[in-house]
Amino acid sequence: MAYLSMGEAHRRITEYLNRFSEAVSFQDGASLKQLLSVSSNSPSLLSLADSLNVFQDANRLIKQSDKYSQFGEIIAPFFRCLQSYRIGNLLDAYHAFEKAANAFLPEFRNWESAWALEALYVIAYEIRILAERADRELASNGKSPEKLKGAGSFLMKVFGVLAGKGPKRVGALYVTCQLFKIYFKLGTVHLCRSVIRSIETARIFDFEEFPKRDKVTYMYYTGRLEVFNENFPAADHKLSYALMHCNPHHEANIRMILKYLIPVKLSIGILPEDRLLEKYGLVEYSNVVQALKRGDLRLLRQALQEHEDRFLRSGVFLVLEKLELQVYQRLLKKIYIIQKQRDPSKAHQMKLEVIVKALKWLEIDMDLDEVECIVAMLIYKNLVKGYFAHKSKVVVLSKQDPFPKLNAKPVNS
Amino acid sequence: MLMMNQGVNTQTIASVDPNSLEGRYVVDVSQGQTSSYNPTAYESEAAPWTMHRVDNHSTENGILSNSSYHHDHRTQQLARSAQDSLNTASLASSSTQGTMSVTQDHSGYAAYNPTDPYGYGSSGYSSYYNNGYQQQPNHAYSQQQPSHSYSQQQPSHSYSQQQPSHSYSQQQPSHSYSSTGGAYQNTGAPYQPLSSFQNTGSYTGTTSYSTTYYNPGDYQTAGGYPSSGYSNQTSLWNDPNNANYTSQQYSTYAPDTTSAYSSGTAASTSMNYEQHYKQWADYYSQTEVSCAPGTEHLSAASTSNLGSAVSGVYPTSNTQPPASFTPASWRPESASSELPSLQTGATISSTHDGWKQGTPSFQNHHASPTQPHFQISHESKASYDNIQEQQQTAPQAPNSQFPAAHQVTQSYQSTLQNAPSLDTRRVSRMQIPTNPRIASNLALGLSKTDKDGPTNSAAAKPAYISVSMPKPNDKVLSNDATNSMLKPGMFPNSLRRYVERAFNLCKDDTQRVACQAIMKEIITKATADGTLNTRDWDAEPLFAIPNAEAVNMDSQCPTPVSSSPRYKRSPGRRSKSRWEPLPEEKSVDKPVSISNDIVKYDGWERKPPSVNSESKWNALNNMKFSLSEQKLPSKNTQRPAKRQHLADGLNAANNDASSDSDKEQSLTAYYSSAISIANTPEEKKRRESRSKRFEKVQGHRAEINYLKQKNAGAGNLYSRRASALMLNKSFDDSGSKAVEDIDWDALTVKGTCQEIEKRYLRLTSAPDPSTVRPEEVLEKALLMVQNSQKNYLYKCDQLKSIRQDLTVQRIQNQLTVKVYETHARLSLEAGDLPEYNQCQSQLKTLYAEGIEGCHMEFAAYNLLCVILHSNNHRDLVSSMSRLTEGAKKDKAVKHALAVRAAVTSGNYVMFFRLYKEAPNLNTCLMDLYVEKMRYKAVSCMSRSYRPTIPISYIAQVLGFSRTSDGNDEKDSDGSGLVECVEWMNTHGACLTTDNSGEIQLDTKASSSSLYMPEPEDAVAHGDANLAVNDFLTRTSL
Repeated sequence: MAYLSMGEAHRRITEYLNRFSEAVSFQDGASLKQLLSVSSNSPSLLSLADSLNVFQDANRLIKQSDKYSQFGEIIAPFFRCLQSYRIGNLLDAYHAFEKAANAFLPEFRNWESAWALEALYVIAYEIRILAERADRELASNGKSPEKLKGAGSFLMKVFGVLAGKGPKRVGALYVTCQLFKIYFKLGTVHLCRSVIRSIETARIFDFEEFPKRDKVTYMYYTGRLEVFNENFPAADHKLSYALMHCNPHHEANIRMILKYLIPVKLSIGILPEDRLLEKYGLVEYSNVVQALKRGDLRLLRQALQEHEDRFLRSGVFLVLEKLELQVYQRLLKKIYIIQKQRDPSKAHQMKLEVIVKALKWLEIDMDLDEVECIVAMLIYKNLVKGYFAHKSKVVVLSKQDPFPKLNAKPVNS
Repeated sequence: MLMMNQGVNTQTIASVDPNSLEGRYVVDVSQGQTSSYNPTAYESEAAPWTMHRVDNHSTENGILSNSSYHHDHRTQQLARSAQDSLNTASLASSSTQGTMSVTQDHSGYAAYNPTDPYGYGSSGYSSYYNNGYQQQPNHAYSQQQPSHSYSQQQPSHSYSQQQPSHSYSQQQPSHSYSSTGGAYQNTGAPYQPLSSFQNTGSYTGTTSYSTTYYNPGDYQTAGGYPSSGYSNQTSLWNDPNNANYTSQQYSTYAPDTTSAYSSGTAASTSMNYEQHYKQWADYYSQTEVSCAPGTEHLSAASTSNLGSAVSGVYPTSNTQPPASFTPASWRPESASSELPSLQTGATISSTHDGWKQGTPSFQNHHASPTQPHFQISHESKASYDNIQEQQQTAPQAPNSQFPAAHQVTQSYQSTLQNAPSLDTRRVSRMQIPTNPRIASNLALGLSKTDKDGPTNSAAAKPAYISVSMPKPNDKVLSNDATNSMLKPGMFPNSLRRYVERAFNLCKDDTQRVACQAIMKEIITKATADGTLNTRDWDAEPLFAIPNAEAVNMDSQCPTPVSSSPRYKRSPGRRSKSRWEPLPEEKSVDKPVSISNDIVKYDGWERKPPSVNSESKWNALNNMKFSLSEQKLPSKNTQRPAKRQHLADGLNAANNDASSDSDKEQSLTAYYSSAISIANTPEEKKRRESRSKRFEKVQGHRAEINYLKQKNAGAGNLYSRRASALMLNKSFDDSGSKAVEDIDWDALTVKGTCQEIEKRYLRLTSAPDPSTVRPEEVLEKALLMVQNSQKNYLYKCDQLKSIRQDLTVQRIQNQLTVKVYETHARLSLEAGDLPEYNQCQSQLKTLYAEGIEGCHMEFAAYNLLCVILHSNNHRDLVSSMSRLTEGAKKDKAVKHALAVRAAVTSGNYVMFFRLYKEAPNLNTCLMDLYVEKMRYKAVSCMSRSYRPTIPISYIAQVLGFSRTSDGNDEKDSDGSGLVECVEWMNTHGACLTTDNSGEIQLDTKASSSSLYMPEPEDAVAHGDANLAVNDFLTRTSL
């Protein structure tokens, strides 16, 4: 760190204070936003932090003038936050920032217009980022990480300020998305419900009026929630919306959406192109898709086993596992097609032994009872049209469309 | 002996001189004592002593723990303020007595005798009585006119009893001393001198006791807290005695120097007294320390006596409210005392002394009982404070102090009068409200009482409050309160603070619970004693939390004791009590009905009543004087006003008393007889029976205490705890010691119970080590449960108690895991999921701490539980993702995962195959899902099969044939088939029979007719385990 004279430090601090008060007085949200984004590592803020470390008595400067001192409760802790952040003390940085944010909130509430929304966004974002880092610091010290939880409750306060009538409402979705991120990270997904309800029910104006980026994020997270609930049509709708509106240049975001959208689409019978999987690096799904295409139960099981950890972590394992029935259906369909080629008149009568034999080729050892059960399930789930005759151990397929396509509908359960 | 006493007195006076006021007082007192004391003192003493004794007993019963607390406090407090020390001392004494009594109760009197050099046991008492009383009686009594009656009484009953009280205090000290050892001996020597003192007057005797106690106490303080506490307590006791003496002296003075008193500012004098008190207290502490060495004891004792006397006086005035307890007894006693006073007419001063003494003793008693329960010292302190205030206001002259004493006595008298006459009581009540303190106290008290003790305490408290305010009022109030007149909600602010302090000391919930219980008892006791308001709760030492049980016991004990023992002890006393309520009738009734009244009142009370009556009489005599004086004091504060009221009442009583003087004499005779009875073997028996009752009442607690005592000898956990707690309290009070000094380890429970079998009972208070089993025993208990042939409910009960003991002792090791695993398995076998979940969550944390166990087995159970019972995909995914690679290779976990796969895919064939080959208790968990799975399977079959399915196949696939062990395939036609048909029928399936006679499921018909029947064992509250039948079987276990 280059030597910083006391005078220079004083000058920089005063400059920051000037910019801050000007941004507020001119209602310049964009400038204010820059002044508050701690983790942006912007050169001006870094130099300010250095100056603060040199010039220890910044509070005196703040109290110097009414212009500054009226925001003293915001700026003073913010300065402390900058200092702590600069020296890598993230826990203190979070605490100071939380204090500043709590002081900022009533000010924001008092401002009639929504000019400071940008600044509020930054605060909501920064508090989450700082909390995550502080938690990492805590965890590495063997303490229980709890700052993210605290950030979540602060954001709920922010949400309360924004959710309502008026121009500030458009900011609510951003805060909601930050909350989603926190809740998903903490694994307290159930807390999302109340936020979602207030967004979806009290719609004073159209959802479409929210900023697009917030809408995409919102749809992504709510779509994920639907995947957990195995509500595939709704998940498909939300994730597709997110995919459609996502900035095509943000491939990471698209990939995240696809990670959930592909299993959803698979479970309603829609298979992706290999190209898509390759483009977004989702090759873990390619074998699953192959298995579905071929009716290769063994391949599906292998793929699931291979990527079990990943699928379990993302929470799509159970979704993918349920594709097994579709693989069976595909297998039966292949048998049916072969039988039809050999003897069209008897193609609709499929002996259980044949299926067992086919599975044996796939090195899957199942006895008659088990296969009978699978077939019964297929018929029960409407993946196969027909009936099973227990006496003769024969599946009697419907002559018309014995293997109906799902057509974007989920398997009956 | 008399000479000795006098000498002591003079010595004390000399020492007192430094404090001019005190010195004067002392001198006066000594003079008065010596002169009037001898005659009156004995009588009065006897009565007071008895009173004390009774109180002591009662307190003793309840107060073991308290005593220890008190000790600490006292020791600390000694340094602080004489008042505190006095209060504490009184408290301690009471507490010690309580402890003594408790021990007595537990071990029995006989036990006491052996343990105590002095001999707590009846024999000890008798010996004491014999020694002290007899000697005293012989000396002083013989000399005194009353001495005749007294001597008779003393030797025979009342004296013996009274002396017993002395002896009790001594004994108690001796207990503590026994630990200290040498100190006791010293005290013993002083005791004898005390007896000689008795000659001079009961004062001297008491003083000597106190001194001896003090000395021991000092020694003890130097050495161990408990001992010091005891000594303090004893000193307190002595103090009360002394106080009584002083009061007597005062009263005597008042009568004698009535003119002087009247001339002097009585109120102011009273104030002076209080101050003196403080000074005295200081002296006490000082003197005690100095005295401790030995020979000095006498002088120290004398000084202490003086101080104590002063304190006693103060307390008496203050304590009168506490006396409220005894109010009834007081009144009767007062009546009786009045009679005696009349009799002694000539020795009015003496009677006064006696009265005063009695009152002091009462006060002491009250204080002591209350203290033991709550922290009597606080109350006494409060009273002290009040006194002090008064004194401060009128510190002018020693004379004034005497007047104050007179006032006090008057107030007592008034109280007595009040008691006799309901109207006066009412008046006193009226006064009470007028007193701002009382009012505030009442309001506060209400809240406090609410906290501490429900309705009982509240009701009692009100009475206390009233009592505490003006003693007479208090008494009346107490009476009223006893009559449920008192307002339950009225608790003094100081009590509130006290409660808060007590709770602040609590380190955990169990302690809080215990503390609560203690507080409850303390408050109830205080209310019962009528000291609720009078006590200086702020100054009251906090009780030791662990002792809470003991306190409870004590509190419980006192009541039973009071009821039965009192009766047994002194019918005459009772008569006195009766007398008090009905002063006029006293003379007549006393002989006849006294016994009943006395019985009602505690032995203590009885004696005090007599004292009171005497005091009343004295007061009456003095009353006039005191009245004038009182009026003056009344200006000072509420108390004066009270006193005035009391005085008025006293005057009335005096009038009555004067008229009944002859009767009083007869009453005194009665008293003496009653007292003598107390000392008799019968009395002893009664006491024993009382103690037994205590044990019964206290039940576990008593046992516990007993155990504690047993263990206590050296490093009893309990005692340690108590001491630790006491330290806490003392810290709290003094703030001089650091919290770090607390022996936290001493607070952990270490079980001593050797019973292998123990029923589960949810803890509602701090665990008692004597009911907690140590680890070795728990291991045996676990084995016993595992090998038991009894049903699940029994085992569950046993395991829960094992778990409780483990938790209470903070045992977390492989045994803990074993216990939880055993219980989890048992609950799984019984299908008791709630219980299983409890165990599972505990096991989770235990495994997480790295304690070895059947981790995999329970991981599988956990997995199955999530799969089968919560339809939460997120939970399932997260618990699956938490499985390690190693875990996934475990047989049980593998099985669980396979079951999960079968369930999610609806593969019923796979499910029931897994069901059959489930390892461990996976079957039990799967059992809970079988019904659902079968229903799903049958509805699936009825949709996909045409036209029919043989039931035999269904039975085989859906696991119905499992009932026949082993070759289920071949046996499928048997019971499994029947069961399957039954199941089909209950689920609405359509069955047909084909040509070969085989039952078939008509799938098409069934597909629309299947339904899930309501579970047969459904219970309204959702837990079949709580069904009435099970409950009954459980209770019959």
